[in-house]
Amino acid sequence: MSARGFERLNDEGLVFNIQKFSIHDGPGIRTTVFMKGCSLQCKWCSNPESIKPYPEIMAFDIRCIGCGKCMQTCPVGAISFSEKGREIDWAKCTLCLECAWVCPAKAIECIGTYVTVDDVLKKVEEDSIFYQNSGGGMTVSGGEALLQWEFIRELFKRCRDRGIHTALDTTGNAPWRKIEKVLEHVDLVLYDCKHMDTRKHREGTGVGNELILKNAEKVALRVRTWLRIPLIPDYNDSEWNIRELAEFASRINVEKVSILPYNELGGSKYPKLGQAYRMEETAAPDVESLQKAKETIESRGLKAEIGR
Amino acid sequence: MKTPTATEVKDLNERIHLKSVRNVRRGQEVEEGIDIYRPGVKVCLERTRLLTESYKMTEGQSPMMRQARALERILLNMSLYIRDWEQIVGNYASNPDAVFWPIEQNWKSVHRLLHGEGKSLLDDEGRAELDEIVEYWDGKTVSDRRKKAFAGCPDLEKYWKYEGTMLWSQWSDQGVPNYEKVISIGLNGIIREAEGKLQEIRRTIPSDYNCQKEFLEAVTISLKATIEWARRYAEKARELAKSDKDQERKKQLEEIAEICEWVPANPVRTLHEALQSFIFTHIVRDQIEFITLGCGIRFDMVMNPFYKKDLKEGRITREKALELVKQTRLHLEELGQMYSPTLTQVYGGVQVLQSLVIGGVDSEGRDITNEMSYLILDSVLEMKTLQPSIALRVHDGTPKDLFVKAIDVIRTGVGYPSLQNDKALIPLLLKWGCPLEDARNYTISGCVYLDIQGKNILRRNSTYFSLPRCLWWALRQGIDPKTGEQYGAPTPDPTTFTSIEDVMDAYLEQVRFFMEKQVQVENVTRSVYAEYYPRPFASALTDGCIERGQDLRSWAYSGRVESFAIAVGPTNVADSLAAVKKFVFDEKKSPMAELIKIIDRNWEGREDLRQMMLSAPKFGNDDDYVDMIANEVHCRTEQVIEKFSDFCGSGFHLDGSAVSATYGLSLDTPATPDGRKDGEAFADGSLSPMPAADVSGPTAVLKSCSKVDTLQSYNYLLNQKFLPGFLEGENKEIFYNYLKSWADLGISHIQFNVVDKETLLDAQNHPEKHGGLVVRVAGYSAYFVDLSRGLQDHIIARTEQGFA
Repeated sequence: MSARGFERLNDEGLVFNIQKFSIHDGPGIRTTVFMKGCSLQCKWCSNPESIKPYPEIMAFDIRCIGCGKCMQTCPVGAISFSEKGREIDWAKCTLCLECAWVCPAKAIECIGTYVTVDDVLKKVEEDSIFYQNSGGGMTVSGGEALLQWEFIRELFKRCRDRGIHTALDTTGNAPWRKIEKVLEHVDLVLYDCKHMDTRKHREGTGVGNELILKNAEKVALRVRTWLRIPLIPDYNDSEWNIRELAEFASRINVEKVSILPYNELGGSKYPKLGQAYRMEETAAPDVESLQKAKETIESRGLKAEIGR
Repeated sequence: MKTPTATEVKDLNERIHLKSVRNVRRGQEVEEGIDIYRPGVKVCLERTRLLTESYKMTEGQSPMMRQARALERILLNMSLYIRDWEQIVGNYASNPDAVFWPIEQNWKSVHRLLHGEGKSLLDDEGRAELDEIVEYWDGKTVSDRRKKAFAGCPDLEKYWKYEGTMLWSQWSDQGVPNYEKVISIGLNGIIREAEGKLQEIRRTIPSDYNCQKEFLEAVTISLKATIEWARRYAEKARELAKSDKDQERKKQLEEIAEICEWVPANPVRTLHEALQSFIFTHIVRDQIEFITLGCGIRFDMVMNPFYKKDLKEGRITREKALELVKQTRLHLEELGQMYSPTLTQVYGGVQVLQSLVIGGVDSEGRDITNEMSYLILDSVLEMKTLQPSIALRVHDGTPKDLFVKAIDVIRTGVGYPSLQNDKALIPLLLKWGCPLEDARNYTISGCVYLDIQGKNILRRNSTYFSLPRCLWWALRQGIDPKTGEQYGAPTPDPTTFTSIEDVMDAYLEQVRFFMEKQVQVENVTRSVYAEYYPRPFASALTDGCIERGQDLRSWAYSGRVESFAIAVGPTNVADSLAAVKKFVFDEKKSPMAELIKIIDRNWEGREDLRQMMLSAPKFGNDDDYVDMIANEVHCRTEQVIEKFSDFCGSGFHLDGSAVSATYGLSLDTPATPDGRKDGEAFADGSLSPMPAADVSGPTAVLKSCSKVDTLQSYNYLLNQKFLPGFLEGENKEIFYNYLKSWADLGISHIQFNVVDKETLLDAQNHPEKHGGLVVRVAGYSAYFVDLSRGLQDHIIARTEQGFA
């Protein structure tokens, strides 16, 4: 990592996390590469740091040792200290990232690093032995990874060349000509679907579902596909929606459907980014509604599972 | 035989009185509010009394003869008991609640303990008797004789005392007897060998004829005494059978009598006899003759032929075999031993550190997995015990079914089986000079102690070695800052160091300096043992002793597997060196003088500097920057240790067992450059990353560990902590793949705590609700509630690996 801030070189991608030992993003033991930047704005997003397509800061107050280095270095005076501890005036912050570089305690971290395909590949290859033994591989997730389609296309290609299984976790909200190019090097797609009603889809994610559904159909024709449904109480868990999603999944012929129950874990990240969480009222779905959704999907002859 | 119900099994388990020693010391501090044993455990003086009587009667005779006669007197006169549930018998003290103290080793510690903080372990009458016995032994114990041998060498007396860098421990004999031989020819067969040798030397008259003759006679006396001891159990069983009204029990007792009349004297015929023979042999060799750590029988390999035969001939059912195996484990579970309060800092929660070994290959390299491998794991699923720990030897041919069964047992949280990797350990033993067939036949006697069945390996872990403290000395030129005394090696002024290599050299010089002192202490003690405390019984069960006419203490197995120093804190040394390399030498962010000054005041006022040192690459994240340094620390420390040897020419090695010393010794090591504060516990195993420093998940931990070259260093201990859900359902397959990868990576060891943090925290606050909660400390398991608060915290702090 370097202290370059926004400066991006041509062959670089913006990654905010590379997580080893991922076992819920495809078969076996996997490494998941999280690309930063998203074309959707899902209210329930559990990785809010994935949305902005540029590096930003995240503040971990609990780690702060009170040394004041961030305050001294901030060029716009956005950081102050009081008896309550360190405070950040997010409206003033220009995301110059200087505070993150000087903090000795990781109490302000820079989220998002520009890396080359080689950088990522080196990291991914470290766990090759685990992929071999478990039938695992690499999954690229986001954000919406397709926003950086050229980068991930190259990454997938180079992984495949090395015999590493490749999976793409996507919302599918991208032009088909780009998706098509990426899919050439993808073994499995984990395809997110939220709502069959485009109006509701726009309400929850900021975009309509037409392109997403159209692409899903094409993707499933080409590559082994698992459909993933984040189940958000009072948003997309109605009988109608689940039934429609199941019909759709069955029609486009996906291999299986995973229901991912909404959880509140992402909520604590929002204030760290200086943002408000809009889902305070929502609790995780209960076991019955998950089971019911699973049964509805199974009744269409599909393989279904409750994931996490 | 009726199958016992779950409650019966549970009851049986609970009837055993545990003698785990609690951790009452950390460094030189006392842990408050904890007794050294569970309530109800008492000290038994019977062995001490009989031993002393015999020693008084044999004044003037050779030490060899005195040892044999003492064993004989104990075995012929000690109290025997058979409890109403026992089908396998054998006791080591006069009652099931008792531990005893090997008075011939040292009287001072026991005297101090029983007159002080352990007063309740003995009544006043017993104390008066003990005082009398002590009067006799004053001047005659190993400690006294060692002290005499130190006379005129003030250096040895000085470095023998625990100061924080090294803890020397007297009773650390291990070694594994040739169980297969006892089982196949019986003690009578071995007596015939001894008599044959005696006849031979009467013809050849070797120059040490008298020595050999005494030894062979002592062997015969001790074997005959053991046969007689077993016969006394037969007598006892017949007596009980007469008065027992329960017909079923009457039959069992008569069966016990027949078995004890037959074994260990004669060749074993059935599984029941084999297990009884094993227990008799183990108790006499490892408890009564001489307090010994470990066990190490290759259980499935030794026991399965008899099980198979019994099954074929319709003598046994799987249920009955399960019951016998459980009873065998219970006999090991109830063995205990007394430790001095100082030693509890390294042995917190320990009983006798016994391991049984399953799986692996035979001397020809073939997989030995058999029915008994599964049966003993099933017996753990039915009944948890702390002892014996089970070590599963893994190689390319280990069946998946055995892995899966092992995962089921690990899932229960019992802390074992630990996994030992043939891929790493067989080449290591070959390098240490063991012939291929012996290396393939290796076993684990306790923790990660490498051993070979039947070979003359006493395997003494005599020293606990705080490596971070050596680094600390290296940053102080070996001068004690409190007294100004040149206590360690006079290494160069650290402010003149220009590269990490200079720091490494100074550290290694400190290691060499302290090891030299400890080796002298150990070797002086060994010669005292060899001269005054031979072991005719253990020698009889050790290959080569009778052929040579020589006690096992006066020679050693040709492979260098004899002498060990237990490495404590190598990860902290590696993390410290990486931090110094990065911030002092590479990035020049902190001058050495400043760093040392701030470490000296425990980082006070400079939390920012501590955070910076903490942010350096840490072992356990698959980061070459620090992993390569870790490899160097391990290998080069071992190279220094290897240069030392004992009087048999057998070289020293490091051993990775760690026990609870990672916690116990840490208090006496001030702050270290890795960001660790004064007195903070070290990383919890010899190969474990520092807790919470391994932030890249469990695969990265294994990758880091795999970069440490076992072949160039030693056998390691690696703890991992997982949430229970990770070993269940669909995840079980993933866990199996993870273990396969561990094996492929050639890491020597791994073991697991499977428990969530909430449970541990709750157990800390409500011990009454968690009496049965077992955790893995190091190479052994212990009840969580028996551990001191600090040691509990040490376990809670370990990084919890789970879902990503």
